[in-house]
Amino acid sequence: MVVFVFEMDLQAFNQRILPVQGRLFRLAQMFLRNREEAEDAIQDVLLRLWTNRQQLESYHSIEALAVQMTKNLCLDRLKSHHKQKMQNDADVTSVQAAELSPHRQLENSDSASLIHKLIGELPEQHKLVLHLRDVEEYSFEEIEQVTGLNNANIRTVLSRARQKLRENYLKANNYESGY
Amino acid sequence: MNQDIEKLLEKYYEGETTIEEEKELKRFFQQEHVPAHLMSHAAQFGYFIEARNEYPSLTFGGELSALLDPPKQTPVRRFGSWLLRIAAGLALLIVGFLGGRVFQERSGGGEPLIATKESVSQAEIRNVLAFEKMNSTSASERIHAVNQSYDLSDVDKEITQLLINTLNFDPNINVRLAACQALQRFRNEDDVAESLVPSLAIQTDPNIQIMLIEVLVSIKEKRAVEPFQQLVRNQDVMEVVRLKAQQGVSELTAADV
Repeated sequence: MVVFVFEMDLQAFNQRILPVQGRLFRLAQMFLRNREEAEDAIQDVLLRLWTNRQQLESYHSIEALAVQMTKNLCLDRLKSHHKQKMQNDADVTSVQAAELSPHRQLENSDSASLIHKLIGELPEQHKLVLHLRDVEEYSFEEIEQVTGLNNANIRTVLSRARQKLRENYLKANNYESGY
Repeated sequence: MNQDIEKLLEKYYEGETTIEEEKELKRFFQQEHVPAHLMSHAAQFGYFIEARNEYPSLTFGGELSALLDPPKQTPVRRFGSWLLRIAAGLALLIVGFLGGRVFQERSGGGEPLIATKESVSQAEIRNVLAFEKMNSTSASERIHAVNQSYDLSDVDKEITQLLINTLNFDPNINVRLAACQALQRFRNEDDVAESLVPSLAIQTDPNIQIMLIEVLVSIKEKRAVEPFQQLVRNQDVMEVVRLKAQQGVSELTAADV
């Protein structure tokens, strides 16, 4: 009887959490820049959510909560082993559209890992907002829920992050001028 | 088209584009032929699309559900590795082997073995004949326990007292008979003779009465004379028993002369 209730609970939990898992993973990977560590981090987050499942109902958005938790956990971990700088920058596996020529593919994967690295160098707030918007395609309302910033602030942070990323990319590639 | 894209890009860097417009930009930079002057914008959009396709590894889901639902998983997993199983098997073998050796060493000398056997059967007798257990044991179990007392080379007060209790109070006549027979063997113990005398007054079954008379006569128990005479006088007692008691009285008093 108890087991039955427990299983239903887990099933419900999985239904709500599984669709978000990929997002949490990508966010963790963006921060930690390492696949294993990212998996480990979201495992931790999901376990915490599961342990506190009774309180979950009171949250407006479980996804926003999970994203927040993932961000905080990743930042904590980065702080705790700050010294071991991630060498695994090239960890992004290139999933590319098949119709691109090998040359473009190679170029893309090179520049993608460069972009990945450059995003990693942005301030925390900037990379979070940029990631949520440009990778996960969050609406401003959703970003608001996660970051607590208001709409205008989000636009400002987003704009700065995009410009900074472009600037650094051009610098790295020795392009002569801005866009 | 390119002008639209350029305008969109401008809006994009100002943080003013909508999700739809951003999707359009991503689509544009995914094409094979991006105009050269826009090429420098392609990298980030390529990255965004690529990063979107990242997922936890396939094993992750399994590991997670094992973590979230441990009661069913852990006991099975704990003995999952072959090495552990082999180690556990070996440990069992060694324990068995050592246990066997220890047991053999202990039972090596003959006498200690008998001692242990005897104490075991004493305990068994006690266990079965204990007064409070009379209702839960069967008559044959109790007879068996009484008969086990024959194996004892040496009895203590406790055992004889148990047998006497059995003789006096066991509801089954056959058990009482067996107890009487067993006590006959221990008649030289101090308490036995003493307690057989009052038992005469308690017993109502002729078989036991006769056997008791025989036992008391054979040990020449003078104190039995008085109860024998009571038996003789008692009209309720069977004729055979009264005769036997009469014989007993004369035998005991004759020996006295």
